[in-house]
Amino acid sequence: MAGGAPPVAAPAGGRAVAPGERAVGWLASTDHKRTAAKVGVASIGFFGLSGLLALLMRAELAQPGLQLVSDNTYNELFSMHGSGMIFLFLTPAALGLGLYLVPLQVGAAEVAAPRLALGGFWLYLCGGLAMYSGFLTDSGAGKDTWTATIPLSNSTHSPGVGMDLWVIGVGLATLGTLLIALTILLTIVRLRAPGMTMLRLPVFSWTMLATTFMVLASFPVLIVAMGLLLAERHLGGVFTGATGSIAYQHLFWFYGHPVVYVMFFPFVGAVAEVVATFSRKRFFGYRALVLSLLVFTSLSMAVWGHHMFVTGAVQNQYFSLTSHLLAVPAGIEYLDLIATMIGGAILLRTPMLFALGFICQFLIGGLTGIIVASPPLDYHVNGSFFIVAHFHYTLFAGSFFGLLAGVHYWFPKATGAMLREGLGKLSFWLLAIGANLTFFPMFFLGFDGMARRVPDYAPRLGDLNLLASIGAGVIALGVLVFFANVWVSLRRRVPAGDDPWGAQTLEWATSSPPPRHNFTALPPVGSYAPLLDRREEAGASAPEGAVA
Amino acid sequence: MSRPWAPLLFWGCLQLILGAGLAAFDEVVPALLFLASAAPVLVLAAWNLVRPPRERPRRLPGLSVPVVLIAIGLAAAAIGLTAGLWLSLVGAEIFLFGAVWLGRELYEERRWAR
Repeated sequence: MAGGAPPVAAPAGGRAVAPGERAVGWLASTDHKRTAAKVGVASIGFFGLSGLLALLMRAELAQPGLQLVSDNTYNELFSMHGSGMIFLFLTPAALGLGLYLVPLQVGAAEVAAPRLALGGFWLYLCGGLAMYSGFLTDSGAGKDTWTATIPLSNSTHSPGVGMDLWVIGVGLATLGTLLIALTILLTIVRLRAPGMTMLRLPVFSWTMLATTFMVLASFPVLIVAMGLLLAERHLGGVFTGATGSIAYQHLFWFYGHPVVYVMFFPFVGAVAEVVATFSRKRFFGYRALVLSLLVFTSLSMAVWGHHMFVTGAVQNQYFSLTSHLLAVPAGIEYLDLIATMIGGAILLRTPMLFALGFICQFLIGGLTGIIVASPPLDYHVNGSFFIVAHFHYTLFAGSFFGLLAGVHYWFPKATGAMLREGLGKLSFWLLAIGANLTFFPMFFLGFDGMARRVPDYAPRLGDLNLLASIGAGVIALGVLVFFANVWVSLRRRVPAGDDPWGAQTLEWATSSPPPRHNFTALPPVGSYAPLLDRREEAGASAPEGAVA
Repeated sequence: MSRPWAPLLFWGCLQLILGAGLAAFDEVVPALLFLASAAPVLVLAAWNLVRPPRERPRRLPGLSVPVVLIAIGLAAAAIGLTAGLWLSLVGAEIFLFGAVWLGRELYEERRWAR
């Protein structure tokens, strides 16, 4: 059975709307595109805040000794930076991208449960504000790392309202993002257009489907863990003794590892769409990719114990085996991406540059992941800057570049205006140089024994730290250029048209931006690239007016 | 493959296999956690099999203020656990108000659909 999205009744209306009413209408709108835009704006706000904290940290670390902040403030900085980026920026941004695009890609008029998505956004926003409001309390914001490890985070070691707000905020934000993911999953399963079978889903929608599986399986566990942590802080007796600490770690990392892939898969999907479009080719190995995605997501649920190798309380053999097995589906995905480019007429537009940046830089994050998946090697680098470098190569140099590939690619669809190529390329090079300047030295710092989460270090490590801090400044400049690009492109609009790239999937068959119910008419769907099919039938390589 | 429940079932089965593998390594409690995590996806697959999507028109809301109230009420009630009972009570009130409003909204929607 192919989805069979039911037709949509037009909303009642017709009278003029006052500005105040319009604002309420926007904030309470159930249109998936508006909800996704709200998620996007909120996540950008939290990205700005969390990024600012990172700049403060790098300023402190530019030289050995304490110059700018106290130990306690530094604890708040890295804890709120990490938790802000993971709970409030990358995860919601990934799901927000899916919320906007999946209904368009599967040919649906709306998401399956628009109210659920709207409620999810508000819960996420309230959770984020609660987490950050800790800075306004006497006890300060959360300062027990983004994992809130027990016993650091109990009421003895971290008393005060600030940490409570962190725990409640994380719970609320996670519940919100869970609801958004559920909406996306239901849309794919139940609202596909006639002809859109599961094996005709675009690659991005498949990655979103895989992502929602992990969200559905792991996010409830974190919500329960946060509830128990709050109970521990107020009532005690929940996570007591050594077993309590291990139990908490199991619960946290059961969420904590899959969430890395929640922040990864949607961007693999975005990069896959970009690579296919800008190589002017059909995506290579579609079925292999689908299978590898399902295996990858399943395996990624089974590797959480590698974060606990040094506790000696998990079966290292099992978790090392499953962690290494991840290389197989990851290799298939890389093979598919590279093979799509081989023989293609590659166009190095900004989205493609970011996609290539993602492919190259995530590889460094992935390969260093093999090191931390091996218990003997992990014993050496655990708790060091090597780990910081590894996960920043996956999440910043990887996922963030994938996000920007997607943003540059779909911006014309969402706004009807093109981003400026010159500014886009400038921001790419600044971000690429900045990311490598910041994070590559950290591998050496970690191997040399520099501990993470400590504001001071041995003077011999000063040069590499200074280099990393300069790199952070370059990243900030790159981000500013990106925002300037968005500002200029929206103020002085260059109209995009429906399909400026000569793309392949269904969202490009509607107007830019799409109407309230997405489509006025749907083209026939005979594969996962219906627009490419249509062009091939007409004997054209790219639509008229597409960027050459 | 046109059956939407197939990837859900496939993924759920992979989870069960990996969970069984974990149990074989004497990690019984984590294995139970792992096996339980497959449940939501399997339940969804079963639900989709039993209740396929409706083919008739859906009345979609343009906006839904009560949902916003429910979410803000829930958040306020939760934050009240540390900020004070007063905030929990205010949050619970907003939640209740939103829930009643939502009930009415859904009732109107169903009436229109009939």
